[in-house]
Amino acid sequence: MATIDLASVAVREANQRIRDLAAKGEDIEVVNPDARHHIGVGLVRPVKLRIRGSAGYFCAGLTDGPRVEVDANVGWGLADNMLGGSVVVRGNAGAIAGVAIRGAEVVVHGNIGSRAGQVMKAGTLCAVGSANFMAGYMMYGGRIVILGDSGEKVGQDMTGGALFVGGRIQSLGTDATLTDMTEAEDAEIRAFLERYEIPFKGKFQKIVNAGKHLRYPRTEPRVRVMPYTVAASNDYWNARVREDIHVKAEIGRYRIRGYGAGRPLPHLTDIAFRKDVSAFDVPTDVIERVNMGTTLGDRFGAKPISLSMPVMIAPMSYGALSKSTKVALAMASRLSGISENTGEGGMTDAQREAAKTLIYQCLSGRLGWNIHDMQRAEGIEIYISQGAKPGLGGQLMAKKVTKEIARIRGIPEGIDLRSPSRHPDVLGADDLVIKVEEFREATGYRIPISVKLGAGRVRDDIKIAYKDGFDYVSLDGLQGSTGAAGHEVLEYVGIPTLSAIQEAMDALDEVGGRNKMPVVLMGGINDGVSAAKALALGAHAVAMGTSVLIAGGCIACLQCHIGHCVVGIATQDPEHEKRYNVPVEAQNMHRFLEHVRWQLAAVTHSLGYTDPHQITRDDLVALTPEAAAITRLPYVPTRRDGPVRSVKQAAAE
Amino acid sequence: MTVYDRARIAPAAVPPGLADDVQDVHFVPAPCQVACPIGTDAPSYIGYIWEGKVEEAFEAIVATNPFSSICGRVCDAPCEPACRRADSDGPIAIRNLKRFIMEKLGKSHRLPVREVTRRETIGIVGSGPAGLTAAQDLAEAGFEVHVYEMTDRLGGMMIWGIPAFRLPPSIIREDIDRMLSHCPGIKVHLNTALGRDVTLEQLKSRHDAVLLTIGAWWGKTMEIPGHRDARVIDGVKFLRQVNDGERPPMPETVIVVGGGDVAMDACRAAMRLPGCKHVKVLYRRGPAEMPARKDELEGAVKEGIEIVYNTQPVEVVATNERFALRCVTTALGEPGPDGRRRPVNVAGSERDIECGLVIMAVGQKTEQDDLASIGLMADDRVRTTWSTMRTADPKVFAAGDGAFGGSTIVKAMFHGHRVAYYIKALLDGIPDPLPYRTPYRTRRVPVSQDPKWEIFSRQHQEFHGLGQKPVEFPEIESTYDEQAAKDEAARCYRCDAETGSADYSVKNREEIFVLARTKPTDGVTGPTALSSRLQPKPDPFGPEHQPNLEDIVFLPANLSRLVIDPYRDACNIRSRLAGKLDLGLPIMVTGFDDAASELRHAVSAAVKAHGSAYLGRRAIAPDATWLQVLAAPQDRPSADAAGFAVLAARALAAGIPDKAKTGQLAGIVATRAELPKALPLALERELDFIVLDGTVGIAGAWPELKGRPDYAVLRDAIRILRKMNREEDIALIYFGGVRSGTDTAKLVALGANAVVVGTAMGLALAGEIVGDELGFYSDTPADQRNDMAESFLRALSAEATIMARCTGKTNVFNLEPEDLRSITLATARAVGVPLVGTREVAAAE
Repeated sequence: MATIDLASVAVREANQRIRDLAAKGEDIEVVNPDARHHIGVGLVRPVKLRIRGSAGYFCAGLTDGPRVEVDANVGWGLADNMLGGSVVVRGNAGAIAGVAIRGAEVVVHGNIGSRAGQVMKAGTLCAVGSANFMAGYMMYGGRIVILGDSGEKVGQDMTGGALFVGGRIQSLGTDATLTDMTEAEDAEIRAFLERYEIPFKGKFQKIVNAGKHLRYPRTEPRVRVMPYTVAASNDYWNARVREDIHVKAEIGRYRIRGYGAGRPLPHLTDIAFRKDVSAFDVPTDVIERVNMGTTLGDRFGAKPISLSMPVMIAPMSYGALSKSTKVALAMASRLSGISENTGEGGMTDAQREAAKTLIYQCLSGRLGWNIHDMQRAEGIEIYISQGAKPGLGGQLMAKKVTKEIARIRGIPEGIDLRSPSRHPDVLGADDLVIKVEEFREATGYRIPISVKLGAGRVRDDIKIAYKDGFDYVSLDGLQGSTGAAGHEVLEYVGIPTLSAIQEAMDALDEVGGRNKMPVVLMGGINDGVSAAKALALGAHAVAMGTSVLIAGGCIACLQCHIGHCVVGIATQDPEHEKRYNVPVEAQNMHRFLEHVRWQLAAVTHSLGYTDPHQITRDDLVALTPEAAAITRLPYVPTRRDGPVRSVKQAAAE
Repeated sequence: MTVYDRARIAPAAVPPGLADDVQDVHFVPAPCQVACPIGTDAPSYIGYIWEGKVEEAFEAIVATNPFSSICGRVCDAPCEPACRRADSDGPIAIRNLKRFIMEKLGKSHRLPVREVTRRETIGIVGSGPAGLTAAQDLAEAGFEVHVYEMTDRLGGMMIWGIPAFRLPPSIIREDIDRMLSHCPGIKVHLNTALGRDVTLEQLKSRHDAVLLTIGAWWGKTMEIPGHRDARVIDGVKFLRQVNDGERPPMPETVIVVGGGDVAMDACRAAMRLPGCKHVKVLYRRGPAEMPARKDELEGAVKEGIEIVYNTQPVEVVATNERFALRCVTTALGEPGPDGRRRPVNVAGSERDIECGLVIMAVGQKTEQDDLASIGLMADDRVRTTWSTMRTADPKVFAAGDGAFGGSTIVKAMFHGHRVAYYIKALLDGIPDPLPYRTPYRTRRVPVSQDPKWEIFSRQHQEFHGLGQKPVEFPEIESTYDEQAAKDEAARCYRCDAETGSADYSVKNREEIFVLARTKPTDGVTGPTALSSRLQPKPDPFGPEHQPNLEDIVFLPANLSRLVIDPYRDACNIRSRLAGKLDLGLPIMVTGFDDAASELRHAVSAAVKAHGSAYLGRRAIAPDATWLQVLAAPQDRPSADAAGFAVLAARALAAGIPDKAKTGQLAGIVATRAELPKALPLALERELDFIVLDGTVGIAGAWPELKGRPDYAVLRDAIRILRKMNREEDIALIYFGGVRSGTDTAKLVALGANAVVVGTAMGLALAGEIVGDELGFYSDTPADQRNDMAESFLRALSAEATIMARCTGKTNVFNLEPEDLRSITLATARAVGVPLVGTREVAAAE
């Protein structure tokens, strides 16, 4: 057994040594742990790790397979997302012990803090002592065994799995209920206790989900969406308003649909280039003349994400989209030399193989989240919110929660999945600093870590992101789309993309971070011209989602939430998915991205630059009073008047 | 042909006089419409079919197609392979839908009569689809048109080329009768052949222009040894015979050579004739290369016809003992001048196929000795310039198969429209007309609303094949019934229609589609799309934009403000108005004083269920909280009311009446104009609340329909209160244009303690707006009505709380103006919140 002394070694180095030793199959002992955070994070070998003392946050977090023993106490987030193996803590554990575990066995001989086992999917969390409030909060599966008292609101908003309480049940949480347990279950628990040498003679009470909140009680009538012009008219009680009222009177709740804000908003199309770009002939070799290569994410020494142009594929989940579509997106991203992003639903092997550069997103429900996929990603992104529904978690309607989706996400099949809105371990900005650190430990500080933010109070949020140590920010405006969200949230929560980038740059200027932390802008950016304007306003790159889906066959019917997508994109129904021709659509997406590249190059060249990052605000004017007020660009409405020449391609030189 | 090219996103200008809608920013011709040579507005007629509007569908169909009944059965329907749904679960059966409409109205429906209004006349030789289409266009333009037909009936290849099992002669008559009654200026001369009965010179002297649409009447043969044997006949001639009513007996085995539509018709006709047992079709390329329409091929196969691919005849073997076709196997070689790979014979693959008759369907040609003698022919066609449709003679035009080679009915009609355009230009004295372009119209039909549109698969027409008595040529297929037609119509994606997204408007979506299907380096599409993208968009709001609560957005919780869980965390919406009146929901209802009792009952049930209140001159129910509006001078506070509100005009004139009981709330109703006097009065009298009336007057009927809401009444009330430093001293109840829980949350954030819904509740109870009133016509059962009212308030409550949660609030009343921004300057001014991305409140109007 090797010994690592944390009195003389930093955690970062200690974790590296632990991984190296584990790779050789050696057991490890950590002495003088001094309640340091992240001890053992990222360990994926079945070795024994003995911690001689107390550990801090996220002890044994993001691991698979090790057998960890802690002699004293641990801080919060014990065994975070542990897939397999075990942890035994001799003392007490802080809040969210066993958070998001997916198969591990976690035993705490003392008491456990609040929200133990939050969003766990599988495995066993056992407290020999008592639990604090909301044990099993939003758990999806597995079991929690509490030999002492339950704490208040036990099983609050749980979806699946069960809690077994040996002591007193202080109060049941919302949608939790007591039920009978079988002898087999009882025997299994007692065998578990015996295995961990925990004597217990008392009786258990079993708590499960009552099932009242898993599905929306009334199904929304399926209505194809009216033209956006209906709602954009000056007619106050227009047909869209009337339809909304009728539907709400039928279902008694807000309506749900796909896509983003549908109405016109102040946007990049409300600004123009000061020069008439169309007046310049575009040389046939324009792409060779403009340097489009873009890197992102080396603010803290990680290996940066390398893009052949300042464009990425926006995060979209497997779940909202079919597996075929995710693979087509991955193929297109490789063909065009840009990055693809997993979104919320986890990473499939097919997607991993198809993409060259794949960013792996971590959401609050930790659906599909695991250490192995983290380690095979080129970037990690912590999702705080998105432009389509900031302040709200993801929604995946029951029709799409198939067996396979349920498996990869670790949740029960066929529920109307409403993801939590907040990370179990990020209650404020300071928590995020430690979370970012955990991710860096888990991946050996190799890969960039970004944050995805829906645009709201951007000026303040960006400053926090800057201080929290992210490599870059993915900033998503109100125009950003989604597979399902409440109509009202899609339309009325958040600020438009145009104001988001302006506020972000103002904020970075205020803290001197303008050129230190890049911003990737997204939300309704769907061509190379808008991309060029976004770059001019300060974005380092843009991300495109919806437009790439349209290139790949989406018809913009906004019915993504229903799950019967007519072209096989936003569906998990095999009958519908087989309508999707992956290689053909991947080529279509690729060709569209190449057009975007050409447009971006043509604009850059026509403005007299050799790199789109050279375009600045000085090249822009505002066409509407709103855009002028938002961006503080000169308001030149007459710029609209001149006829736009047909762009010509110059003869080859 | 691709429909995803430059022409789709940047169509050429259409010449004046042609009805065309491509300049409409909310319309892009759908792939099916572009694939149709005559630009049929298929999406519109499909939409009409779903709506059950058969006459409108008929109009859309016949607008550009004089042979709609015929095309409903036998068009080669290039629209269908172009249909975007072809890539997923099969194209919309556009042709079958056309047939469905024509079956209903084709016989009975007549078009308005177009009289002759012009002096000039036109002579047209040949009455096929090209000639008659041109005839109709020119007659519609007011010219007298003389059609010279060498046979005894009109229709050309439509009548002589297509057998009755696919196209009964009555269908052809239907279209022609419709055309002749529509255009009495079309004069028909049957049994009048060019060269035999009339000369070109005569026509030229009789008419101001002559059009030659003489077709490709003669079949080509293969010049192989033995081809002159009497048992080798040409397909066109064979079909002509059969279509004239003959039913010649067939040998046991018949071979048809060729892979086009004539081959298909010939083989299927032969199969139905007496004596025939086997029919084999020899085609020199593979199935993928076969030009025949897929449906026809499938039909033939279903009828028992054998298709032999990659096989080419080389000799007719005719001896005393046997008759056979000697064939070789072919393989695909290098592409020929037409771009198609040429079949090459495989050495040593010779074999004989025994048969009794060979029908050669290997192409058609035009022969006209008279025209040839005056130099108007080039090989087997009338020499014609495509850009002008003229022959060498400036007065003589030509079109159709006779000018450009064998083609389809719909292409011939396209030629007809095109040549008519150039003839009209000549007669109008326009020397250099703009190039013709097929016009694209839209009838702006809403998309169908069938909940199963994504699921329905292509509806099949019942196929009968040979039928009971094949020799009588019964029709091979039935027409859709009503349900099948509706279900098929529901499947349409509506590629022409505007979407629900301003960012991904129809124009943007279709442009992306084109880009995704063209090479960025083709030098054409890229620059075209870039020009379009550089075109400044119109101001989405503009000076006419009216303030609207919909322009206001919430600033969500994120990093700088703790996110709560909108799906799970509780959010309080209860309140105590003026410290006295408990409200389960800060949304009151008004407007049902004089409504039918059923409606009043529904409202009262909803108000009670949510612990809300009713605001009106009459109580809504004895046990529902009532805030009484005192409008008329004689109105007195009722002891049944929890409170009363006096209209400002009355209060300012006659004061505030005494309370009818202790604890009763007292208030005033004021519009924005009344505020400066009404609000100080209310404060002076220590009233509990003020109803801020953003309408023309709460006491009238449906005042929210009489004008736009004036939100500034709330803004101004708060400004006055703030100036007096008495913000907390009176409750504010806002009325006017509240539609949703989101509107409610915004108004609460702006300072309202409660809001009132009137029209919105009326709409929730299935009311319909008629002028500036709300009418109730539906026969919704009472319990359902009660549920609607209750559900609507529940939805509003859920919306208001989810908005609060998204901003990180666990109580709706914790929302504040700082949580809001406006996306337009007009609304920013009217409600006094900053524009998005800024922090300063815009100057008041």
